Amino acid sequence: MRGTQRSDTIESEREVNKCVHCGFCLESCPTYVVTRSEVHSPRGRILSVKLGLDAEGIETCMYCRRCEIACPSGVKYDKIITTARRPDAFKKLMLKTLERPRLLYLGTSAVMKGNGRLSYRLRDFIASPEEPLEHEEKDPDVYLIPGCITSTFFRGTVEKALRFLQEKGFRVKILNGCCGLAHYSEGDVKGGDEALNKLVPSHIKSSGKVTLVSLSSNCTAHMREKGMNVMDFHEFMKSMNYHVRIGNKFTIHYPCHANLLGITKSLADVISDKENMVQMDDPSFECGAGGAFFLFNEKMSDLVIEEKNRKVKGSGAEIVISTNPSCSLTLKKSGKKVLHIADFL
Amino acid sequence: MSLKEELKEIVGEKWVITGEESSLFSVDGFTAYKGDPSMVVLPGNEEEAVKVVRSIVKRGEKVIFRGSGTSLSGGSIPVDGEIVVGLSRLNRIEEYKGNEVIVGPGIANIMVTKNAPPHLFYAPDPASYSVSSIGGNISHDSGGIHVVKYGPTFNSVLGVKVILPDGDVEDLLFHNGQLNPMSIFIGAEGTLGAVIKARLKLFPKPESRVSVFATFDSVTDAGKAVVEIFRKGVVPSALELMDRNIIRAIESSRYKADLPNVSAMLLVELDGSIPQVKEEKEVVKGAIEDNSGRIIDAKGNEDEFWKARKGAFPSMGAISPAYVTLDCTVPRSKLPNALESIEKISREENVFIANVFHAGDGNLHPLIPYDPNNKESLLNALRVGEKISKIAITMGGVPSGEHGIGIEKISIEEMYYSEEEIAVMKRIKQTFDPNNLFNPWKIFRPKSLPRQDDVLKVMWEWE
Repeated sequence: MRGTQRSDTIESEREVNKCVHCGFCLESCPTYVVTRSEVHSPRGRILSVKLGLDAEGIETCMYCRRCEIACPSGVKYDKIITTARRPDAFKKLMLKTLERPRLLYLGTSAVMKGNGRLSYRLRDFIASPEEPLEHEEKDPDVYLIPGCITSTFFRGTVEKALRFLQEKGFRVKILNGCCGLAHYSEGDVKGGDEALNKLVPSHIKSSGKVTLVSLSSNCTAHMREKGMNVMDFHEFMKSMNYHVRIGNKFTIHYPCHANLLGITKSLADVISDKENMVQMDDPSFECGAGGAFFLFNEKMSDLVIEEKNRKVKGSGAEIVISTNPSCSLTLKKSGKKVLHIADFL
Repeated sequence: MSLKEELKEIVGEKWVITGEESSLFSVDGFTAYKGDPSMVVLPGNEEEAVKVVRSIVKRGEKVIFRGSGTSLSGGSIPVDGEIVVGLSRLNRIEEYKGNEVIVGPGIANIMVTKNAPPHLFYAPDPASYSVSSIGGNISHDSGGIHVVKYGPTFNSVLGVKVILPDGDVEDLLFHNGQLNPMSIFIGAEGTLGAVIKARLKLFPKPESRVSVFATFDSVTDAGKAVVEIFRKGVVPSALELMDRNIIRAIESSRYKADLPNVSAMLLVELDGSIPQVKEEKEVVKGAIEDNSGRIIDAKGNEDEFWKARKGAFPSMGAISPAYVTLDCTVPRSKLPNALESIEKISREENVFIANVFHAGDGNLHPLIPYDPNNKESLLNALRVGEKISKIAITMGGVPSGEHGIGIEKISIEEMYYSEEEIAVMKRIKQTFDPNNLFNPWKIFRPKSLPRQDDVLKVMWEWE
């Protein structure tokens, strides 16, 4: 384990040295946009790491990685921030809980009844957690990966997706768990890789005969970056040449990591009534959730949520299509209807 | 009450940054020298900014103003423990009226056009326009690719409101004097006053905008084509040149645009009415072909080519961790000679020099990479840079086209201006700021170094 940590550090250092401090990343960063302070900017964070400072900005990074798109020097910012961060005991517990959505369901149900800050915050964003849907058919040809947050807080979406797959004649198994993106975001790379291995065992990964379909676009992106051959749900719909009708003025949110890999661009291809589509300003601008960031950094995330929802409202849409669950939670603050593409099946 | 406490009372605790976090404001886009601010203050609005500056100057403390921190000449580096006042939070758009807009100095350049009525645009667009601030643009009289037709920032500023080194606020947003009193603040690099509000001019968007791209077997031929285009009476809205070295850097960066691997490439943009642009396009093509250039088809990649140009400087990061950016300007007719000289220096000194610049206005940007962990390599890059600037000056050019003198070009500036001219500028500075409180260390060579430092020595005391 020491060995991997050392190679992480070397990789991080290499990326730090690539930064020429031009500042092109500033306006792409949600926390810079709302604070306009170097402390909460990618460039400031990289400099903090370079100078070995214990700066507040390391904590306030939402890990959306939009700065990587803006960076002309090609700095792999994720390598820097994941090396600089370590989860505290509470976050470690949270990450372990995400790996077992049933536990997440029980846990959040209990916490939401409480009176603490976290209870209050959860109630503010989540109506009620539901027991994750379990489903397993013999010799499955499609593995459906809802993602931990979708399993627990958007069971309806999972049900619709499952019904669709069954109607199309597939034998389905649902894999409930966490892809490990949340762990990466907190700097626990090793834990993240373990979580993914648990979610999708290697015999499934290496089997050429099955199709892996993910209902959470940022998880799709993360799993792809980890070398997995996985389809985002809308890509699967597209491969089946299946279209849905939204029926009202809608806009599409581009979840940050999915956008980084160019995944959400094709989402519009599975929508038949494109005449109802309106563009929001900067559709890949961070939603403000930042995974679990919004639970621990309330003020900062509220500012970002407000900024994002200003863009959402500015589009004039009635419906926001969001294919990533934590984004959906914060986008609801816009007062608009927020739905997954699978909700229209 | 200590100054720190006083400032905290004005802007709120969290907007005064002290301790080690303040070193995040120690550098800008010029990384050869790292400063050390004693404190950083980020006022949230104009009123706070005025109070902050008054508190500081009342005590005779020195201030370095900062916008987005993208200066390429060290314009926002606190050389010797000054207080950094960052104006990035003053980013409000007050109002659009007719073809004008009033904005705070902290707004990013790009936002002025983005929020403007759809038929208007803000013309000056330095390559850093997606982040660099209007306040900084005004203070450096920033250029950009559209300078050649629309002029530098100076031509797009109608009025400014400034705070002076004595704490007085001068509102020149709507001035009507015979002498243009606000003009002195444009390009003064914040040494005479700091912009706290600006009234900008917007141009109507042209009916048509087309691009022409061409490749050449030598930079000299490309330079000749540039001269020819103007000789034939065409003023393009942008005319940029990139050489093989910068193309290599771009192609190894995120701005990779499948650019051709050639000695030189010209990027031309023409705008105006449809028939005018059509006619000009033919003239430009002719001028290029007459100088052994080949027109290339961007195959739908036009935007990528232009983005590659805008990201060219920092894309150097993909091949070298640090670089010096020159900004000297030569008369357009001297472009072929200047480019030949740069090639010669590169060969003789055995240094890698990448060229990407505003060919239309003769504004050269040779980029010289260096190893930040090797002082000698940095000093050598600075020396080579100076050599090139010197040649530009002897050709009738100027040391800085748009990046400013900052702390970087002080000795080169002294090669260009006579002692008398510098004495006049110093008298102006003295009149506005007798105690040298605003952006000290900028523009003028100080009597002594604040500390022993090789980089400062080379930049400031080079003979």
